[in-house]
Amino acid sequence: MQGRDLLRFTTRSALSHRLRSGLTALGIGIGVTAVVLLTAIGEGLHHYVLDEFTQFGTNIIGINPGRSTTFGAATGVFGAVRPLTIDDAEALKRVPFVLNTVPIVQGTASAEGGGRERSTNISGVGPEMPAAFDFQVALGGFLPADDPRAPRPLAVLGATVRHELYGERNPLGELLRVGGERYRIVGVMESKGQVLGFDLDDTVYIPAVRALELYNRQGLFEIDVLYDKSASADEVVAGIERMIIARHGGLDVTITTQQQMLDVLGSVLDVVTFAVAALGGISLLVGGVGIFTIMTIAVRERTAEIGLLRAVGAGRGQVRAIFLGESMLLAALGGVGGLLAGTAIVALIGVAVPLLPVRLSLPYVAAAQAIAVLIGLIAGVVPAQRAAALDPVAALRTE
Amino acid sequence: MTFTDCTRVALGALVRYPLRTAMMLLATAIGVAAVLVLTALGEAARRFVAEEFQSLGTHLLVVLPGKTETSGMGPGLMAGESPRDLTLADARALLRSPAVAKVAPIVVGAATVSFDGLERDITVMGSTASLLEVRQWRMAGGEFLRDQDWDRASPECVIGDTLRSELFVGRQPVGQWLRVGDRRCRIAGILARQGMSVMVNVDELVIMPVASAQQLLNAPGLFRVLVQAAGRDSVMPARRDMEQILKERHRGQEDVTVITQDSVLATFDGIFGALTAALAGIASVSLVVAGVLIMNVMLVSVSQRTAEIGLLKALGANRSQVTRLFLTEAVILAAFGAVAGVTFGQAAIFLMRSLYPDLDFDPPLWAVAGSFLIAIGCGALFGILPARRAARLDPIAALAGR
Amino acid sequence: MPAPMIRLESLSRTFQVGDALVRALDQVDLGIEAGEYLSIMGPSGSGKSTLLNVLGLLDTPTAGAYWLNGVNTSAMSDDQLAATRQSQIGFVFQSFHLVPRMSALENVELPMLLAGLDPAERRERARAALAGVGLTGRSDHRPAQLSGGERQRVAIARAIVMQPKLLLADEPTGNLDTASGAEIVRIVEGLNERGLTLIVVTHDAQIGERARRRLRLRDGRVVEDLRTTRP
Ligand SMILES: Nc1ncnc2c1ncn2[C@@H]1O[C@H](COP(=O)(O)OP(=O)(O)O)[C@@H](O)[C@H]1O
Ligand SMILES: [Mg+2]
Repeated sequence: MQGRDLLRFTTRSALSHRLRSGLTALGIGIGVTAVVLLTAIGEGLHHYVLDEFTQFGTNIIGINPGRSTTFGAATGVFGAVRPLTIDDAEALKRVPFVLNTVPIVQGTASAEGGGRERSTNISGVGPEMPAAFDFQVALGGFLPADDPRAPRPLAVLGATVRHELYGERNPLGELLRVGGERYRIVGVMESKGQVLGFDLDDTVYIPAVRALELYNRQGLFEIDVLYDKSASADEVVAGIERMIIARHGGLDVTITTQQQMLDVLGSVLDVVTFAVAALGGISLLVGGVGIFTIMTIAVRERTAEIGLLRAVGAGRGQVRAIFLGESMLLAALGGVGGLLAGTAIVALIGVAVPLLPVRLSLPYVAAAQAIAVLIGLIAGVVPAQRAAALDPVAALRTE
Repeated sequence: MTFTDCTRVALGALVRYPLRTAMMLLATAIGVAAVLVLTALGEAARRFVAEEFQSLGTHLLVVLPGKTETSGMGPGLMAGESPRDLTLADARALLRSPAVAKVAPIVVGAATVSFDGLERDITVMGSTASLLEVRQWRMAGGEFLRDQDWDRASPECVIGDTLRSELFVGRQPVGQWLRVGDRRCRIAGILARQGMSVMVNVDELVIMPVASAQQLLNAPGLFRVLVQAAGRDSVMPARRDMEQILKERHRGQEDVTVITQDSVLATFDGIFGALTAALAGIASVSLVVAGVLIMNVMLVSVSQRTAEIGLLKALGANRSQVTRLFLTEAVILAAFGAVAGVTFGQAAIFLMRSLYPDLDFDPPLWAVAGSFLIAIGCGALFGILPARRAARLDPIAALAGR
Repeated sequence: MPAPMIRLESLSRTFQVGDALVRALDQVDLGIEAGEYLSIMGPSGSGKSTLLNVLGLLDTPTAGAYWLNGVNTSAMSDDQLAATRQSQIGFVFQSFHLVPRMSALENVELPMLLAGLDPAERRERARAALAGVGLTGRSDHRPAQLSGGERQRVAIARAIVMQPKLLLADEPTGNLDTASGAEIVRIVEGLNERGLTLIVVTHDAQIGERARRRLRLRDGRVVEDLRTTRP
């Protein structure tokens, strides 16, 4: 029997019970739709989170004070024994391939300006911050390249702070009071929106040294190093380690490359996607039970036909192939239907709820198809075997 | 036809095709069991987190320095600084509120500890005697910090289990002098092994009097203040009082954030509740698939039993009776399937419980009841089409078996 | 003397039904030459169908030997049996056994489809076979749209389309009225005249008498073997 003929034969017999075959395929189809949809959500989430992180660039290395880490955060944030200083940040600029360093001090404070007051986040940073993190200035400019040890009291507002304090007015040149000091506003940042629920625009940027004074701190929270994309992260890390050891007499910092973070995050999200795919797979399993049941019924109903096929020269293998083919066909039909439905729903979500991150995951879509057909194969084995094992004489006698 | 007769006829029909009946039961059972197992998982995760937070202490409030107007766990809240420190005096002032029972000020930092040539980087926590009770930690030996004047920087400390096992191999640590940073302290006691407890690995701690830690870490401000309210009903009054007291002390500025354990708990409860519901929803999809299977097989059986239906009609059965007969069959299938599913599910959950005795797997009642109802609902819904088809059969053609 | 086409040597086929052993065929010795026209008669349950099924390689004897064209069939594997059925044996059944969802043409094509022949060739040969049984123009009709006699003619076309050497018919007229039955007999006898070995099981004496050689079975034994030598 030629492959094409087998396909035609099984298609015809599936089509001879349209409703029944349709419902059988629907069972698998619902399962595939669930897998496609759930993995699309998982994949969308994956991309969303990674995008959120990579918008600051991937060629960034973070340096935190303190060597041992507790729960992911360097203990240095609590105030380590040896502080990271502005001088460290300046010195790190001399490490090969380093383009920029950004010292960071973070906290909250109340900011007064435009006759209003607001509790907001304070970021003490260096002038290279917008370049390093790919932030855009909307109005005026960012903090100028003053002497990093004695910068002028200038401030740049995040979009939210600007809006809350000054509304639509132009705040450039106005004075802003932060923790008893007065800062002149030289710029307003473009809105960055929320990152993982945190409003980046609810921030006032001031020079790092002034933030250290504001909070009466010795050391920086973090130094972010932006390096040349052409260099390998390992090379740059090695350079940073040498510099820190030279300056501190030991490696008392924690160095995290953005890539490491992304890798960890990525693998966690992959597990999540896999888990939801497996959950969707439960429906596929039930669909497989459906195929098995219907194929068993079909073998029983078509016993006489099987007898005839054997009489006109079909071997057991051919009878088996016919029923296996039919069960795989039903599964594949369901798979394609589920794929179409899933894709349509994903597209619909994309249009109707653009905020919900959904994205077709091609490997999972392919896997869902393959598993659907595999389920058809497995579910078909027992009924097909039963058909092949039928005694032709007995089969011919039933009617 | 009475209900009993209807059931008996339906059961008879089901028993006649044992394999396909078993398969429909299996399909429904998989769906119901999936709902139970998944919701039990979600519920276990929720309880685990809830217990984690409960283990933080009872009627707990946390004061952190700094405040932003936008909510969310930003870096400012997690580790940020505020221009005005929370001081020991601030913490002490909180005791003025009648709603406040206990106060434990906290400073945290990193330092290197060494003993007899062995060295280790470790987290240092400065606090007071009330910390033990507020956090409900247990001691393995010796004494916790003495209840003394908070401003006294006495050279004593309490160590966690890891430090004990790593630095004091085969030796009794209590009474020994431990070097922490550039200071020395006498070990007064050892904390019992308890692992992670809400963001802090208790086993990796050195705890010393708050004033000592402030000097060691050169940190004038407090990292946090833990407050235990006098009782469940005192939590909200305590929060109001504390905000009021700190506002007064900070010259009218509201520059602290007070978090109640209940509100954090409620947030996590909400998140995990939604997660569990989503899991239940995903699992329910397989119940729909099972419903489709029931419909399919019922349709087959209507066409195979055409002659039987024709006979029933010839004997005087009307449409609604025939409909009822087939619907009963579908609902019985779904109901038995659901019972089997609950059994499977409970068996699987029992297995999970014996594998992970720490987690409390137990499907919520709504999930059990819900999956049962959805299964039966699916059976009834998907049974309608075949039942109506059977009812509409023309008796003459049906008798002819066509 | 050439070996006969079919030779049965004390062939038995027994069935175990509960405690009882049913001897459907009991030590049958039989030789059939190529081109013979043979009818098998006997009371119901005498083993006629069983004999035909054994001859057609659908059933295997429990004892004895069956030589087909000099080959001992008991040595053949299941696939070889199937291949032999495909190429050398045609069946016609009392209840036609057409696949209801297929057209007359497709039913006739079925053995060629299983044999893996090309569609164009299949179509051509199936049409020719249908024309041979007088069904030109009915190719696209489904079994349900055909009369009993027409259905049996489709079945005959299907049985001979692979050009077998042996045609086995088990009560081919049993479900037909006299006129259609006579038509079927005429067709298969025509095939026999062109050299096809024909074995017909029937309990219609009139039809049975037409055969040149007439077997009578009783309780699984051949009790009568009559030949009419043609003048
Ligand atoms: N599969 C079987 N199992 C048991 N007994 C059988 C089977 N097939 C045939 N028989 C028995 O063998 C005998 C011959 O049957 P059969 O060849 O069909 O008779 P005929 O075709 O002459 O009416 C009968 O007694 C029948 O009951
Ligand atoms: Mg017979």
